[in-house]
Amino acid sequence: MENKHITIFHGPQHPGITGNMSVELDLIGETIQKATTHVGYLHRGFEKLIERRTVIQAFTIVCRICVPEPDPNEANFAMAVEELTGLEVSERAQYIRVMVLELSRLAAQFLWMAGQSGSVGIYAVGQWAIADRDRILDLFEELTGARVYHMYIYPGGVRRDLPEGFLQRVSELIEYMKKRLLDYDDIFINNASFKNRAVGVGIVNKDEALRNGYVGQVLRGCGIKADVRKDAPYLVYDQLDFEVPTQEAGDVYARALVRRAEMSQTLHILEQVVAKMPSEGSLMNKLPPHRKFKLPKDDTWVKVESARGEFAYYMAGDGSENIRRMQVRGPSLVHGFTLLEKLLVGAELSDVALIMNSLGICPPEIER
Amino acid sequence: MLNAIKNSFATDDVIVKREDLYKVNVTRERVFELLAFLGNSYEYKILNAITCTDWIEEEHFALTYILTHLDRKNTIMVQTMINRENPHINSLSNEFAQAEVFERDLHEMYGIDFVGNENLKELSLENWIHTPPLRREFDTLEFVNNHLTFREGREDNMDVKVEMKRIRAEKKALKEAQEKEAAAKLAEETKDGE
Repeated sequence: MENKHITIFHGPQHPGITGNMSVELDLIGETIQKATTHVGYLHRGFEKLIERRTVIQAFTIVCRICVPEPDPNEANFAMAVEELTGLEVSERAQYIRVMVLELSRLAAQFLWMAGQSGSVGIYAVGQWAIADRDRILDLFEELTGARVYHMYIYPGGVRRDLPEGFLQRVSELIEYMKKRLLDYDDIFINNASFKNRAVGVGIVNKDEALRNGYVGQVLRGCGIKADVRKDAPYLVYDQLDFEVPTQEAGDVYARALVRRAEMSQTLHILEQVVAKMPSEGSLMNKLPPHRKFKLPKDDTWVKVESARGEFAYYMAGDGSENIRRMQVRGPSLVHGFTLLEKLLVGAELSDVALIMNSLGICPPEIER
Repeated sequence: MLNAIKNSFATDDVIVKREDLYKVNVTRERVFELLAFLGNSYEYKILNAITCTDWIEEEHFALTYILTHLDRKNTIMVQTMINRENPHINSLSNEFAQAEVFERDLHEMYGIDFVGNENLKELSLENWIHTPPLRREFDTLEFVNNHLTFREGREDNMDVKVEMKRIRAEKKALKEAQEKEAAAKLAEETKDGE
């Protein structure tokens, strides 16, 4: 038959992920024979910009590396600078950081939920999730002055104290979310139109998952209990009690279940943070003026658990006020190339958006 | 483990950075041997990243292979130096699937040739024929001035620093004039009062 093979571009704008990235698909009928990822629509050269800036100037760009969840970037950056310069952060500041990181995790999960439900055509969930995410952004606005790019977790501490009654409002949010998440179970997680599409699709091979450097829900979805907060605790996570949810199936639905269970765990962590928050303690170290804030000639590797998995920074100083090198290692580079190109082979065209969304790929983080 | 590395690889450059983070410096001839040793004997089997730092003053690139233990608790950084001129090193893409894209990224940004990696095509740049952009000698400002033009309607595009200096000087002059006027007025008033 003539024209048996068809090549199409899925993207750069498509329902698969937030951000612009395309996948070139070779098809026979509806079945994918070969997938090739193309990026380059968002290149902003963060790593180059950071080399020419002072530490504090660089701080203002790191949050822009991933739009849906800027805070793990800030935390990594701050932790790397603190480690290189030997700054100590008070317990109170650490608890506040955990609170911000967990709120941001919840916000990012809602954004994922909006995208994932959109990829199977359940648009009501998208509307709900964005509205519920806005409740978290309201709290962020109150705390940091900004809704999305907070620039709050500053090297040496946090930028501001909690406003009066803030913890009370966080508690109210937790109570609201606990009830609200049950509605999402009904309309989305247990919804047959999602379940039938997601079960058995995009199965990740457990044996190669760890070794190939996959992270986050991709690992936990195939039964590996990987979570940086447990494996190599940072901040005060070792003082908090929480579970690492896992599933065995390794498909899109397993990853969705893991994410949903993590949202409940996040609420559980937030409850403890509110209860344990120390009322005293310095928020911020005294820092040298920004032209004199120098990093020693040394390097380090720091990582946190973002909403999409392990998120790490390599940072090297050279004794000057500039950062010699900062490399971002998010989940997206490996998930977007090594994993996605493999998972899509043999999949149906209509499942591409579904699979992409479940991997937590964020293109700005590939083209940093 | 650290002692075993010291003995087998005749290096004293083994540093404990943090409770869960070690760093080893080795020569480029022995780096793959060390990576295999760590993987086989100590279960450092997850390749997290390959990073590169440009030390232009010392005329080398520092390549760092970051490996995590299978229990995901400890991390080790294996660093080696390669020459900046005609930089090349063997590829790890046969051992680790994810190395292919890491190396592709470094090939594009630093011009390092990873021998054995067959997929070193462009990643995020398009038809790039200039110096690889993350090398230190690549000057962003110079590149912009030489290769890009301002959009029409922005001919008045002025140097921000010069402009800010001018505005500050203007403000200062205005303030001084006002102070002078106020002083003169005050002097006049006191004179009247007398």
